[in-house]
Amino acid sequence: MPQLFRPYADTVARSVLVALLVLPFAGIALAYWTMRSNYITGETVTLEQPVPFSHAHHVGGLGLDCRYCHSGVETSAVAGVPPTHTCMTCHSQLYTQTAMLAPVRESLANGTPIHWNKVNRLPDYVYFDHSIHIAKGVGCSTCHGPVDRMRLMRQAAPLTMGWCLACHRDPAAHLRPPEKIFDTEWQPPADQAEQGKKLAAFYHVDNKHLTDCSVCHR
Amino acid sequence: MTLAVPAQAPTSEHAGELERWTQPGARTYEDVNALVSAPLLDRDGWTWRAWWIGFAISLALTTAFAVCIFVVFSRGLGVWGVNSTVVWGFAIANYVWWIGIGNAGTLISAMLLLTRQKWRASTNRFAEAMTLFAAAIAGIFPIIHLGRPLYFYWLTPYPNTMTVWPQWRSALIWDFWAILSYILFSIIFWYVGLIPDLATLRDRARSRVARKVYGALALGWRGSLRHWHAYEILHLTLACLGVPLVVSLHSVVGMDFAASLMPGWQETIFPPYFVVGAMYSGFAMVVCLAALVRWGFRLQALITVEHFDVMAKIMLMASIVMGLSYASEWFTAWYQGDRAGRSLVVFEFTGSYSVMYWALLLCNVAAPQAFWFAAVRRSVPLVFLLAVVINIGMWLERILIIWNTLSHDYLPSSWRLYFPTLWDWLTMIGSLGLFALMFLVFVRLLPSVSMHEVRHLVAEETEP
Amino acid sequence: MTPRAPSSERAHRAGAAAGDVDRRGALRLMASGVALALASCGRPPEEVVPYVDMPERLTPGVPLRFATALPLGGYARGVIVTSTEGRPIKVEGNPRHPASLGATDVFCEAAVLSLCDPDRLKVVRRGDEIATWSAFEAALLGQMEQERARHGAGLRILTNRVTSPTLLRQIDALLKALPEAKWHRYEPIDDDAPLAGAAQAFGRPLTALPRFADARVVLALDADPIGAGPGQIRFGHDLVRARQSHSAQEFLRLYAVEPAWTLTGAAADHRVALHHALVRNLALAVAHELGAPSPDTPLPPDAARFARAAAADLKARAGQGLVVAGRRQPAEVHALCHWINAQLRAPIDYIAPVDPSSMSHNDSLRALADDIASHKVQTLVIIGANPAYDAPGDLHFADALAAVPFSVRLGSHDDETATRCTWRLPQSHPLESWSDLRAHEGTASIVQPLIRPLYDSRTAHQMLALVGGAAAGASLDQVRATWTPQAGGDLGGWWRRTLQDGVVANSAGKPVTPPSAKLPQVQPAGTPNGLSLALAPDPSLWDGGEANNAWLQECPRPFEKQVWGNALHVSEIDARRLKLEDGDVVRVQANGRTIEAPVLVRAGQAADTLAATLGHGRTHAGAIGNGIGFDVYALRRSDAPSRWAVDGVTLAPAGRRQNLLLAQHHFRLDGEAEDLQPRLTLAELAQGKHAPNAPSANPPTLLPPESRDTYAWAMVIDTTACIGCNACVVACQAENNVPVVGPAEIAMGRDMHWLRVDTYEVHGRPGFSPIPCMHCEHAPCEPVCPVAASIHDSEGLNVQVYNRCVGTRFCESNCPYKVRRFNFFGYADGAEYANLGAECVRAVFNPDVTVRGRGVMEKCTYCVQRISRARRAAEKENRAIRDGEVVTACEAACPTRAISFGDRNDPKAAIQAQRAAPHAYALLGDLGTRPRTTYVARLRNPNPDLGEAQA
Repeated sequence: MPQLFRPYADTVARSVLVALLVLPFAGIALAYWTMRSNYITGETVTLEQPVPFSHAHHVGGLGLDCRYCHSGVETSAVAGVPPTHTCMTCHSQLYTQTAMLAPVRESLANGTPIHWNKVNRLPDYVYFDHSIHIAKGVGCSTCHGPVDRMRLMRQAAPLTMGWCLACHRDPAAHLRPPEKIFDTEWQPPADQAEQGKKLAAFYHVDNKHLTDCSVCHR
Repeated sequence: MTLAVPAQAPTSEHAGELERWTQPGARTYEDVNALVSAPLLDRDGWTWRAWWIGFAISLALTTAFAVCIFVVFSRGLGVWGVNSTVVWGFAIANYVWWIGIGNAGTLISAMLLLTRQKWRASTNRFAEAMTLFAAAIAGIFPIIHLGRPLYFYWLTPYPNTMTVWPQWRSALIWDFWAILSYILFSIIFWYVGLIPDLATLRDRARSRVARKVYGALALGWRGSLRHWHAYEILHLTLACLGVPLVVSLHSVVGMDFAASLMPGWQETIFPPYFVVGAMYSGFAMVVCLAALVRWGFRLQALITVEHFDVMAKIMLMASIVMGLSYASEWFTAWYQGDRAGRSLVVFEFTGSYSVMYWALLLCNVAAPQAFWFAAVRRSVPLVFLLAVVINIGMWLERILIIWNTLSHDYLPSSWRLYFPTLWDWLTMIGSLGLFALMFLVFVRLLPSVSMHEVRHLVAEETEP
Repeated sequence: MTPRAPSSERAHRAGAAAGDVDRRGALRLMASGVALALASCGRPPEEVVPYVDMPERLTPGVPLRFATALPLGGYARGVIVTSTEGRPIKVEGNPRHPASLGATDVFCEAAVLSLCDPDRLKVVRRGDEIATWSAFEAALLGQMEQERARHGAGLRILTNRVTSPTLLRQIDALLKALPEAKWHRYEPIDDDAPLAGAAQAFGRPLTALPRFADARVVLALDADPIGAGPGQIRFGHDLVRARQSHSAQEFLRLYAVEPAWTLTGAAADHRVALHHALVRNLALAVAHELGAPSPDTPLPPDAARFARAAAADLKARAGQGLVVAGRRQPAEVHALCHWINAQLRAPIDYIAPVDPSSMSHNDSLRALADDIASHKVQTLVIIGANPAYDAPGDLHFADALAAVPFSVRLGSHDDETATRCTWRLPQSHPLESWSDLRAHEGTASIVQPLIRPLYDSRTAHQMLALVGGAAAGASLDQVRATWTPQAGGDLGGWWRRTLQDGVVANSAGKPVTPPSAKLPQVQPAGTPNGLSLALAPDPSLWDGGEANNAWLQECPRPFEKQVWGNALHVSEIDARRLKLEDGDVVRVQANGRTIEAPVLVRAGQAADTLAATLGHGRTHAGAIGNGIGFDVYALRRSDAPSRWAVDGVTLAPAGRRQNLLLAQHHFRLDGEAEDLQPRLTLAELAQGKHAPNAPSANPPTLLPPESRDTYAWAMVIDTTACIGCNACVVACQAENNVPVVGPAEIAMGRDMHWLRVDTYEVHGRPGFSPIPCMHCEHAPCEPVCPVAASIHDSEGLNVQVYNRCVGTRFCESNCPYKVRRFNFFGYADGAEYANLGAECVRAVFNPDVTVRGRGVMEKCTYCVQRISRARRAAEKENRAIRDGEVVTACEAACPTRAISFGDRNDPKAAIQAQRAAPHAYALLGDLGTRPRTTYVARLRNPNPDLGEAQA
């Protein structure tokens, strides 16, 4: 009877068998890698804003304190984006004619708020509270990065649950002294290991229960 | 035309063998091959009307099944009759029922292979196919019964950015692994068993396409002694793996209920009792299929009355064990002296579902007692009928395990009944349709009886 | 299935809304699902919209609380309303207010939902066309010209009960300006009989305020002081306070005689069911024991024994005995009670009626109807009242309205009355308006708005200003004008103080010493012939004004657990005689009127007595309330002796059945099952009898003990204190964004309440036990969840992580208490019932609580958001959370303090004593679940002379 298959059929058969074993795992690996990629987490992504507000200029250049605009950060869950009035405290005097600031002036004139694009976004089922983090020695730049060097605001951390948990499991590594909370250039000192322990004691930060689901989800 | 040689010459223990599992008309290798492969290869000789009718019906039901799944996904579980206290319903019952049926195939081939039951030869192939399809369908239900089926993969321990893992104490996780491994195993076991027959088909096929396809699937089987040797070892090893797997699978399903706190579920007897129940319903289904295959492909010579006789005996045994298990449930309920447990048993016999409960006892325990009589065992129509009855009874048992306990648990304030909706029924019947569809396609394309094993059997029976 | 009858297609629409079965819908669902799963991919861009000019005192994310008052039947209950970003989202009681004492009732709790009811009247309408306020003002001007010409001879004002000093002042001024004009006021839930009774006894109308806290023996004659009503919170609180002690002497003993079950009857130590007409005989019998020369009165033997025992008990406790009669009893019975109380020197305060108008509500409305009939009325201004719906049937008020040439209706909805008036004007909700109100005992409060009116609506004050010919002006000025004299010099300071306190300092009604009560001539009643229908306000809907509030419609009635409708309660005896079963529909015929009603058979209801509640069968309530239940106002007669009983009722089967929507189906407990709601008498307690399953008595376990290094939250529920008022149920719903499922879903056996009140009958006596999640230390729901969505936190909370839940529902299957609730559809998110998905309704959501989507399990969290808030506050101050700092929503709402919450690891916590009490128990504790929610068994103080027969 005639030959059914060519010799390469063997190779095909074998590679198929191998693929059957390998592909599933390859798939999982790929999925995992994608989930962590900036494309998914939005890390380093910079968004267009109605007004190209530059933290680099206001914080890095003029040295404004974070709380000047984000006034709720010590008392409220949300740090708060400043009302148009806050911008106008200066800009009623400075750059009063620049086209760049037109939206701000309109906002004040028509009483219509400015629609900023949210940069650091958590899912609705995550109840993050700025004030408690500030009160417990977690500085702004720990999550928001060196805003004083950002022309347009960008997301500086992956903001994945794993990332949150890393700190909730070992907060000491990220704690800083009270006077450094709003220091956007703060870097953990060489001896953060024992500094952190001291600070944890000072702030009464205890990581035993920080990973309870109910800490962030309700 | 190559013909496979039986691996081992018949040994003395088979000498003087009186019992014959094959009829005259299937006493040579050629007869066997012809009988089994003819319908697949030379179709013109055959009329397929019955097949087409069956195919049309099952295709329709399968579509209905697909529609149900879509409706459940798009509108929500609320389309079913599930309510605040009876939060489980048909989906879980169907799942348990199908997985039970999914047991028998492997049980038959593996366990009977190990116990050297020769009669398995002519039944194991379609029994294994049945297993595979039933298990596959069973696998669908746990997913569609989820509130958020999109996230079924959260039951798998995959690396994720949330750094959370499944909850290993949950019986549902054990279930997940049990089903997964069981399906994988069934596929391999079934396929390995198919290889020699695929080769036979390759060699007998006329059309080139058929040869190519069967050939590719046959993985270049040549029936050399080396091949047969490897095959026997692999098949036997798989069988050894299979038996514990079957037992574990349905024990785990039993633990879905046993590992709970609810009256009527919290029973240590559940795992073994579920295994037997599974075997029971499985055998019943095998009998039905055997009768159909036998009639459809005129295989009276290969699937003989003897087969129905032995399977009836097994079902009889199972029915007695089931009866005992029920009795032990009632006893423990009384013996442990728990208010809820006792009140539940009373509810079973007198409550809102009591008619169904009595029906289940009738189907699973009373009716099969007819198998004490040889006449019944040896009448294919009767055995077939009773097998259907048993399958119905087993389904009733599955649904009542859920309904009774959840409708009548600890606090009377939350006692509620379950009212099935149209979608409940459609999902259940639809799954039957899908099963029928898959089985019909199988018998159309693959040998529904294992030719090489029957040839082996013939060899043993013809050369004392 | 059959039960889907009334509004199935409505519910179907709701159900389908989850993504109407088309491809795009399904894809959208999937997309949103994925979006939820992944961190950010595919999410539409989100915006941050800051203020242009941030309001004073407001920090985004920090809620504010304001004191105000909410009316019920015209009387105030002082409340404190929480507002986030300007949205009032939660009402709680004002501890400073005598009619609240910090607690609420179902109506207070539901007010925030009424505020954003999508069916509110949003625009001025003239007939059916949309008009404007200016158009109306023009029309009114012309009309008032004529009226002024004839000194208001054709002008009639119709209101509900008015206690607002400002409104009274305005009405007064108006009537002075137009001497011929008349003011009528009608409250369907009237108090005519009590006032008339007082007038008979003392020669002038007085309001009696029983001081239950000082009483030790109370006899309620067909009275329900702790049932729904303006005084419920206060009376319930006082009565329960007097039932705390463990000594039979100190523990208030409550006797109740009533035709049909009331909350008072359920709380009573002794209760007899007696036909409403025979109650007077019992009163006479009691009076006789106290020396009244009353004739021999026919009474059933058990009632007679009851009367003797009660009278003896009352006599024995001079100065502490108290008799109260209900609004169904005629004036002379009330007068007789006053005489009895005088003999007993009962702890009662008498004050001048808070509602000053002397005419009875019924007569007032009849007078108006007569004037309309005789065409005396040219201009009718209706403020709030809805007589077209709730007037007695014989007045045919709906038709009468048509005869008025110029009729104006200021009201919240385009309801039965509005649709029959020339002008329909939107009225501001109490949470939107400045006003003032008095409580049932006289204390005045300033009503301040929580939010600027959602629509172009006016308050009653502005309306009266318009009628008076002035500009609408601002209600604030009118209210301030009223109180300027009070304030003395410094209005600003007085105003700020009063607003902060929520009450006007010492404005309570001054107790007067009444003249000695005359013994009235009361003719004993003969044995009643034929059936009579006893009416009562609905425990959830009151008079029906709130019928469009879905929280109230779905709030299970205390006894029969019926939702979305009412039923005609038939006593077991009559049901047997008439061969009626639950769900049979009957034609109820009385006074030439016929209505159809489904039957519900009730044990413990007096023979020949039918019972039904008002407030149902609305036709123009809105999408929620229309066509729910049947309307019994039609059966009332304005010329009958009482509005609260309809005599000579005949029943005829209508030949059909109707599925009653019940949230609970099995009520009777006997044998071992009685342990599910144990009850002890004080005597048994004294003999050292314990409740089964003490909280500490846990079966052994192999599981490790849970950590004790932090808080261990625990709840204790005192079933002696629970009066079954449901305030906790609605409070929980409001606090935790618990959705409404609607009648069709209820019929399917689904519901969403996180906190339910189980009602059980043991030996025919109902008892209530609120059932939140037990937060078991060894929670059966946790090990079965495959994805660890149901999991313990270190403080002992059994948390449900919605965003992790995949919806296997294994947790609920394995929950012995069945307290978990599953979103079979997107009840709160995509498949809302009726119009509850409307944008404005989303304003009531509590931003601190996730709105659960379809396919996830949810349950009581012990108000974890409140715990977290307290924990963060405490940690900022580096201190521990103080006992009583965390108050759960149900605890805050409870009028009788039946629920208490605290840290079980804190030896000084208030709950410790209750957990250690001999009659404390853990529900199903023998299962080894170690519930954190434990109970205190129900205590009763039966009269040994009467024995268990009527206990």
